[in-house]
Amino acid sequence: MGLLRYTAGRVVQAIPVLIGITVITFILANLAPGDPVRLMLQGQEVNQEVIARIERQYGLHRPLHERYLTYMGNVLQGDLGHSIHRDRPVTALLAQRAGPTLMLVLSAYAFALATAIPLGIIAATRRNEPTDHVSRIVALIGVSTPSFWIGIVLILIFAIQLGWLPSSGLVYPWRSPDQYGYSGYPELAYQTIRHLLLPMIALGTLQMATLMRVERTQMIESLQGEYVKLARAYGVPERTILRKHAFQVAQLPIITIIGLNLSTALGGAVLTEYVFNINGIGRLFLEAIQSLDYQLIMGITIVIGTMFVVGVIITDISYAYIDPRVTYGEHD
Amino acid sequence: MSSRSDPLLRVENLKTQFFTDAGTVRAVDGISFEVYEGEIVGLVGESGAGKSVASMSLLRLVDSPGQIVDGEITYKGETIFGLEEGPDGDLREREDMLTNEEVRTRIRGNEIAVIFQDPMESLNPVFTVGSQLREFIELNRDLSSDEARREAVDMLREVGIPDPAERYEEYPHQFSGGMRQRVLIAMALACEPNLIIADEPTTALDVTVEGQIIDLVDDLQAKYGTSFIWVTHDMGVVAEICDRVNVMYLGEIVEQAPVDELFYDTKHPYTEALLNSMPRPDRTVAELDPIRGVMPEAINPPAGCRFHPRCPDAREACKRIHPENREVARADGQPHRAACIKHDVFGDEYEESVPLEGRAQETAASATDGGESEESGVESRSQSGNGSGSTRKTDGRRGGDDRE
Ligand SMILES: Nc1ncnc2c1ncn2[C@@H]1O[C@H](COP(=O)(O)OP(=O)(O)OP(=O)(O)O)[C@@H](O)[C@H]1O
Ligand code: SF4
Ligand SMILES: [Mg+2]
Repeated sequence: MGLLRYTAGRVVQAIPVLIGITVITFILANLAPGDPVRLMLQGQEVNQEVIARIERQYGLHRPLHERYLTYMGNVLQGDLGHSIHRDRPVTALLAQRAGPTLMLVLSAYAFALATAIPLGIIAATRRNEPTDHVSRIVALIGVSTPSFWIGIVLILIFAIQLGWLPSSGLVYPWRSPDQYGYSGYPELAYQTIRHLLLPMIALGTLQMATLMRVERTQMIESLQGEYVKLARAYGVPERTILRKHAFQVAQLPIITIIGLNLSTALGGAVLTEYVFNINGIGRLFLEAIQSLDYQLIMGITIVIGTMFVVGVIITDISYAYIDPRVTYGEHD
Repeated sequence: MSSRSDPLLRVENLKTQFFTDAGTVRAVDGISFEVYEGEIVGLVGESGAGKSVASMSLLRLVDSPGQIVDGEITYKGETIFGLEEGPDGDLREREDMLTNEEVRTRIRGNEIAVIFQDPMESLNPVFTVGSQLREFIELNRDLSSDEARREAVDMLREVGIPDPAERYEEYPHQFSGGMRQRVLIAMALACEPNLIIADEPTTALDVTVEGQIIDLVDDLQAKYGTSFIWVTHDMGVVAEICDRVNVMYLGEIVEQAPVDELFYDTKHPYTEALLNSMPRPDRTVAELDPIRGVMPEAINPPAGCRFHPRCPDAREACKRIHPENREVARADGQPHRAACIKHDVFGDEYEESVPLEGRAQETAASATDGGESEESGVESRSQSGNGSGSTRKTDGRRGGDDRE
């Protein structure tokens, strides 16, 4: 019950954040240089009357705040507007592109967690030994190298030099093998992984590096805890201490970091999609900016903003669920 | 208790050192003591004396970069630690010394259990109190999970936790400090060990709760007959609970005696200083006499007697001679040992050497009671010739002292 109320509370708290996101994007999009109508007409000479008619058709003649309220009314009904430039509903464009982006971001996180946690634990248990120093250097490189640069280097090595992996596009496992001309599902799965590998690593390295360092620090701290000493003194085997007693405590901050890093992950996804030619929301976003398709820009911003807020709420709630000390804001 | 069988635990010349960048920390430097069945043995001393390191050494759980480097620990005839000379003259671990695995499964928890100082930190925050109790019980006794659970609830009740079945399901943060310490006591007792090491179990608690916990342990100790090593820096607690006492200073045991004997016939100046610094009902705060200075680092302990830079009775010889912990008296058939050259029967170094100048003056300046300066105190002592060196003046506590 406490947890349900806590969840509801967090969702309510998120509403002002979402309103803020939409207001700011709306203003920025409308202040951006370039007139969308003229841009859409692509330099054709038309008279003022045609422009005025188009403006009226899209409601562009009305004051900003009125347009915002209308827009938000539509958003609440699941209508993110119409891309003037592409002449398609924004929701349809987003639906088409969401799959690849989710696949990329989730796989990058999976990669980051699967590598960072064991590596962090190893570094913690071999503190100040060579393994630890190597991991520190790897983490430093990972944190300070932008994902697109890692992407380019990976392409140069594994796609161009060695020719082992494809450098462009993704294969979607939710499509049928026939669409790609594959022999069957095993090949579809194989190709999915082959295509995903490099972009996943490019995007996941930063997360891996951050999480690994956090995991190491947390494990070191946890292993020095009095409760670990007590467990040892009562004859608990060392591997149980590592896997259960110290580990459980150490994971709490990791969950928070995952939630907070969602913004860097989504930002990184834009560039990674660009480098690997993946038709996700990130690429769509860049295209929308280039063409000043401001309905689309706003739609994407709102969706990404919502994803981020939802992500943070989910991490918050799972933290509260896992850590018994969080008292859902009631008392302590 | 005068004639005794073999002790439960015998520690001989135990040395534990930490090899740090700054040098070798001689945290425990050759201590010897015994614990007999059913008794509470105190380990007293200031912070940093080596009490915790000594305690953890008994379980062979010394934190890195620490290591037991010498000595022998025997528990119920089993060798927890022991060295012997190898063929090439090197010290090596003895054949009969328990392996790491044996110490973990046979000694830790089920034979020797611990209670730590900080009840707030000693329990794992993410597991329920009950599950932690049950885990340790299952590990150390031949009980099924269900039986261990029942035992855990019974133990919680035994240590005075109300509604034990409900509390079993709760997390440590839902318990107060005193209640958590009760949980830790339940944990120790539930594993049915023969010896419990309580490392300052009441230091983190307020005085009222401290009293309750001590009473609880006293009762449970009488009921279960478990032996205790009670680590503390508080002489008041020692007086209340211990049967015999070991006073530690800078890695060494400087005095060892049954508790009454220690209080009424104090033989070592350090013990005396500890007693003088202890708040008591018959003394005002102004009369308290804190021990001068701080205990030096265990990296480079002072030469000679380690207490000499702070000892009010120190003489020139104390800087040279490292006093051995010798038997200086017997009480109820038990030895009273002290490591102070005042008690050396052979050799008159102490008697013949001069008092350490600065020391004596400082002492005179800070003497608050008796009106007699320390110099004259030293004088009369050396003339008395019995070497007992009782400098206690008029504090009334030593009414039973028959030597003056
Ligand atoms: N891990 C360690 N590394 C280096 N030195 C250590 C370590 N643990 C303890 N020591 C040193 O060993 C000596 C004894 O420490 P110990 O903790 O046993 O003191 P204590 O008598 O228990 O004091 P307290 O009353 O503060 O608990 C101290 O000088 C301390 O600095
Ligand atoms: S040997 Fe000397 S310095 Fe040490 S306690 Fe005895 S009198 Fe004091
Ligand atoms: Mg200690």
